[in-house]
Amino acid sequence: MLVLDDVSRRFNNKAAVSGVSLSIAGGSFVGVIGRSGAGKSTLLRMINRLVDPTSGSIRFDDVDVTRLDGRALRDWRARCAMIFQQFNLVGRLDVLTNVLMGRLNKVPTARSLLRLWSEEDRAIALSALEQFDIAGLAAQRADSLSGGQQQRVAIARALVQEPDAILADEPIASLDPRNTKVVMDALLRINRHYGITVICNLHSLDLARTYCDRLIGMSAGSVVFDGAPEMLTEDVARDLYGLEAGEALEAAPAREPRSAAVGPYAVAV
Amino acid sequence: MSESFSTSAGPSGRGRLSAAARADLAGLKARHPEAFRLSPRNRAMVILVPLAIIAVAFGAMVALDFSLIRILNGLSRLGRFAVLMMPPAPEGRFFVFLGALGETLGIAFLGTLTAALLAFPVAFLAARNVIPNIFVHFGTRRAFDVIRSVDTLIWALMWINVVGLGPFAGVLAMACSDFGSFGKLFSEAIEATDGKASEGIAASGGSRVHQVRFGLVPGVLPVIASQVLYYFETNTRSATIIGIVGAGGVGIYLTELIRVLELKQVAFLILMILVTVAIIDFISTRLRLAIIGNKKIV
Repeated sequence: MLVLDDVSRRFNNKAAVSGVSLSIAGGSFVGVIGRSGAGKSTLLRMINRLVDPTSGSIRFDDVDVTRLDGRALRDWRARCAMIFQQFNLVGRLDVLTNVLMGRLNKVPTARSLLRLWSEEDRAIALSALEQFDIAGLAAQRADSLSGGQQQRVAIARALVQEPDAILADEPIASLDPRNTKVVMDALLRINRHYGITVICNLHSLDLARTYCDRLIGMSAGSVVFDGAPEMLTEDVARDLYGLEAGEALEAAPAREPRSAAVGPYAVAV
Repeated sequence: MSESFSTSAGPSGRGRLSAAARADLAGLKARHPEAFRLSPRNRAMVILVPLAIIAVAFGAMVALDFSLIRILNGLSRLGRFAVLMMPPAPEGRFFVFLGALGETLGIAFLGTLTAALLAFPVAFLAARNVIPNIFVHFGTRRAFDVIRSVDTLIWALMWINVVGLGPFAGVLAMACSDFGSFGKLFSEAIEATDGKASEGIAASGGSRVHQVRFGLVPGVLPVIASQVLYYFETNTRSATIIGIVGAGGVGIYLTELIRVLELKQVAFLILMILVTVAIIDFISTRLRLAIIGNKKIV
């Protein structure tokens, strides 16, 4: 159980997240939706402590995440893996080593710095890659892969951390529709098969409805919607996104067929 | 990816991946043998490359007469030097030093500026994406290399023979060697721009000149400005050196004072240079960050 209690974050006196209180049950698949700048990324990054909250507290079971530092903080980060929009792999390292980065917290530093990975760690990494059909790419350099493949490598890296939760910050925003489905299916599979909590920032309402058990809508740093996907009516969506909601909910803009832009929130699947 | 999702998992899901991997260790090793061992070639590289580097370094030390004993013996002299430097004092020559320091700054400023102004147009000739003709851009590039390979100090010695002793020779020397460096850096910056903006201009009916002016220049100008400022920083430091061969600035005082062992004045002069360089660095770093919008440029 992840509990956020009145969490706020300010950047230069500008509130990115203000007064968010949530509790997220283990094993759920939570989608965080809202327009750009609503504070979704900051919220996720605070859970992983890439960003420190200005006030409030984050607890996971009996760990007070906001008070951790040093070794304990690194242990916590290993328990809540992060997946990024731009994948954040090490381009010049091969895929297997990238995935093994997920084991760093469990391997003695001297061994990992010399890249003396145990057979067991290699096996775990390969097993994770096999689950996403990319074990054959293990020896390739990460920057030679396509976006969809790179994101699957990133998910494999997250998986070998054997985390309690995976935080995905717009994992599909740079991918095409087919890879979007592959990556979202991979996240769903991890969630269902391993019981790992997934908290996923999404732009697309369609995807959020398809994959998530629960949606959290954010606007201007605050939670304005929290409920099951069925409860997200068009009115609520309009509040979240402003005028673009009507378009965001439809597959194609019906009234003005000649306007090419559907707005940044619609991802056609 | 289309296998059915089992919904049975609970908190026990943690550790399931490693358990499965352990159980399937033999299978994984059979399927991916190359992931479990270093290839002979890599193994050889890991051992041989560091060995070769150590061997060459050792050979160079022997050839260049390295001797720990000479360092230890000289250490006392270094200590005496340091004592003689205390306390740093201008001994009445503060304003002379200040004037010389101003001259050094002037050399660095004019030298950098001249080099940048001359190199900017020529750099386009050396950029592959502007001049596809290999003879032109290759030739320009090699010309830059030749000019660059001659050090500022050598240029200073040559210019002294042409225009006589003094800061003018210093400026010319600095402009020459930096012309080569800037040409290389600028043309690389121009080549590093992606062609999308230029393509947009071309697609709108723009000429080659339009493409360069509106597709390339706005993209490279911040990079180039930042490189010029960085060179001004380093040139402020290196302009102290070229005075040693008589091309103006504080260098001449430094050599003379060290020769006659006026070490208190030397120490004071070094402190003055230190302060000046720190101020220039501070201002220039601020400017550079402002120009490139706080983004790091390689």
